[in-house]
Amino acid sequence: MRRTGLSAMALACTAVLAGALPAFADGAKTAPSPVPTATQAPSSAPSATPSASTAPSAVPSAAPTRAPSSGQVSVVPSGAPNTGVVPPASDSSNTGALVGGGAAAAVVLGGGAVFLVRRRQANGA
Amino acid sequence: MSPLSGRALAAAALAALLVACGGPGATSGSSAGGTPARTPSSSVPPAAKSVPAVGRSTPVRLRIPAIGVDTPVMKLGLAADGSVQVPPIAAHDRAGWYEHSPTPGRRGPSVFLGHVTVGAYGDGVFRHLAELHRGEKIVTRLENGTAAVFAVTDVRTVAKADFPSDEVYGNVNRPELRLITCGGKRTGAGYLDNVIVFAALSSASP
Repeated sequence: MRRTGLSAMALACTAVLAGALPAFADGAKTAPSPVPTATQAPSSAPSATPSASTAPSAVPSAAPTRAPSSGQVSVVPSGAPNTGVVPPASDSSNTGALVGGGAAAAVVLGGGAVFLVRRRQANGA
Repeated sequence: MSPLSGRALAAAALAALLVACGGPGATSGSSAGGTPARTPSSSVPPAAKSVPAVGRSTPVRLRIPAIGVDTPVMKLGLAADGSVQVPPIAAHDRAGWYEHSPTPGRRGPSVFLGHVTVGAYGDGVFRHLAELHRGEKIVTRLENGTAAVFAVTDVRTVAKADFPSDEVYGNVNRPELRLITCGGKRTGAGYLDNVIVFAALSSASP
């Protein structure tokens, strides 16, 4: 009888821990927030264009990679600006839900096992 | 009863503890709130009217009372790939002025950029830019102590794939302002749209 109760407990705990492992793996993977491109600190001097000509001068050329135009905006940037880094809230909320669900399952299974053991003991006594 | 049930209880508690402590802490509330993709009626800029002259001076501060923005302004240039630089990702991010555009109050489009969200830090300085309305005030404070005041003429949400470079960076016949951030739907990689505020000079103070 005791052996049965202990076996049930061991089985329940194993199942719960095994179910929680993916949540750990997912959480650890997504822990560092993805900061794709915007971390580039704006430097006052744009990177000098590597020209295939003479030796590099002592003072790096401040010329941008695009040729200046005669417009009011002297150098028109290409593409659309990337002015938003998405908060990593959605990922971590999924992970949080997984962990929360795992914890709840552990409590329920543990309680059930205790109840089962007590009932068996009461019947046996 | 007691030794066995005690053991079982301890095992259950241990399992629950392991599972509960394994994950990351509570998630920082996603202050997502869908960006309203407003597309107000576009306004064709009227002919240049007489505006007070504003000397050429670098902007140092930007204030938008309607959405509670009051931020220092940094200079932005070009990134290595030819796109415009953006302010760094930081807890209290700032707006930036594109240094190859006219200074505020000079004829032409003066371009400012700011983040809508800054990753784990939450909202960016231009989080509520899309909520601006026509006629609302934008104040730029310049390095020489003067201020150029603009009034919103249009707010647009456009797909990044169709970014209207000509309308944003093209020549105009009066002093204007462009405020740019991201908006629209979010994907794992970022935002699909840009929010662009167009404004025209309304007054200047010494």
